[in-house]
Amino acid sequence: MYKTLSFQPYFCGMNQIIVLIKKDLLVDFRQKYVVAGIALYIFTLTYTAYLAFNNVITPAIWNALFWLNLLFSSVTGLSRSFSQEAHRSYYYYFLAKPIHILTAKLIYYGLYEFVLVVLLTWVFNLFLGFPIENPSLFLVNLLVGAIGLAVCFTLIASIVSKTDNASHLMPILAFPVIIPVLLIAVTNSRKIVFGASLGDISANLLVLICFNVIIIALSFLLFPYSWKN
Amino acid sequence: MKYLIKAYWWKPLTVFLLIYTVIGGFLMPVPRLPILNETIRILHFHVPMWFGMIIMFAFSVFYSLKYLSTKNFIYDLYAEHLVNAGVLFGILGIISGMVWANFTWGEPWSNDPKQNASAISLLIYFALIILRGSLQNDHQRARMGAVYNTFAFAVLIPLIFVLPRMTDSLHPGNGGNPAFGQYDLDSDLRMVFYPAVLGWTLLGFWIATLQIRSVNLQKQLDYE
Repeated sequence: MYKTLSFQPYFCGMNQIIVLIKKDLLVDFRQKYVVAGIALYIFTLTYTAYLAFNNVITPAIWNALFWLNLLFSSVTGLSRSFSQEAHRSYYYYFLAKPIHILTAKLIYYGLYEFVLVVLLTWVFNLFLGFPIENPSLFLVNLLVGAIGLAVCFTLIASIVSKTDNASHLMPILAFPVIIPVLLIAVTNSRKIVFGASLGDISANLLVLICFNVIIIALSFLLFPYSWKN
Repeated sequence: MKYLIKAYWWKPLTVFLLIYTVIGGFLMPVPRLPILNETIRILHFHVPMWFGMIIMFAFSVFYSLKYLSTKNFIYDLYAEHLVNAGVLFGILGIISGMVWANFTWGEPWSNDPKQNASAISLLIYFALIILRGSLQNDHQRARMGAVYNTFAFAVLIPLIFVLPRMTDSLHPGNGGNPAFGQYDLDSDLRMVFYPAVLGWTLLGFWIATLQIRSVNLQKQLDYE
């Protein structure tokens, strides 16, 4: 009994995180129309681009369009990551540590972003083609960039959820902050489209990973303050 | 900040340094460089804006963190007005840079990575000001402002100091060019440039302290 107690803080944390992730999953499962709405958003956005560009799309434009669509669908998808917590924060405040809440959110919305990326890539592939010779490298760069987007947008969403006009503020606050990540990721991606190998982009990829680490560390430092009421 | 608000000696110093900057900057000899020619004199007005902006933002983040750890509103007030003064300097820096670029690079905006980075950094701080404006509760405004301010500064540093160095730029010190100081900043320029940086930065702090004092007075009047 006492032996298990000595490990309790660790297990408590893990349990809490798993329970919080399950709760997010359950909420999304019960409100399927929200998730379906995001999927429809991606589809509509890509289809509009398909109709607007009407077969005059070059690989460089394809790349820029892909990242723009990813940016807009991520900001739409993740802006609600804290909006549902407004009425529950009093319970959480006593029950869970902010660090655990953030870890759960980051894991859940990281996976959420991953699903968005897969869906977007599939829809793009369907309508606009996939003009890339080295898909695995493209996907690695895409995933590293997407992690940065997910973490940054989750932190900004936690700030924005305290305001009245969250839907207006989310892009205003999130876009300028995410531009460094986006800039490196898009540049890498453009190089890959033009046939670069891992050696050509490894330096930039490393900077991107460092940037992600900085953003994650900062969100763990700052989230407890943006969470408390 | 508290010391700067109380002390007076640095205000005559600021006035003296700025008068020296204006007179020295326009009249003292400058090196004859191709393309730049006499436009190099704007160095004393354009570059100190960025120095001042970064220093004020750094102090603002310091006070934001101090606010988060102590919950004393006075630190939030410092952070807010330092950001406002820094943004003012940033706008002036961009405008003076565009004037300079118009004469040397041929167009006011030439997709230079450092120009883009400074425009983005201003966007970030405009967003901070809008965020502060849209929160009604004082405590929440201060806390969210402090959180976003810290996050913004952490993004700003790589944005301005790391990313432009990785690509080609027209600015000195980027894309493998040596930073200024090695060949294009000779001793004549230095004699004005360093006092100019100090003078303009102090002027920024002066603006911030005036705003802080006026807000404090307004608060006291409201209480009475």
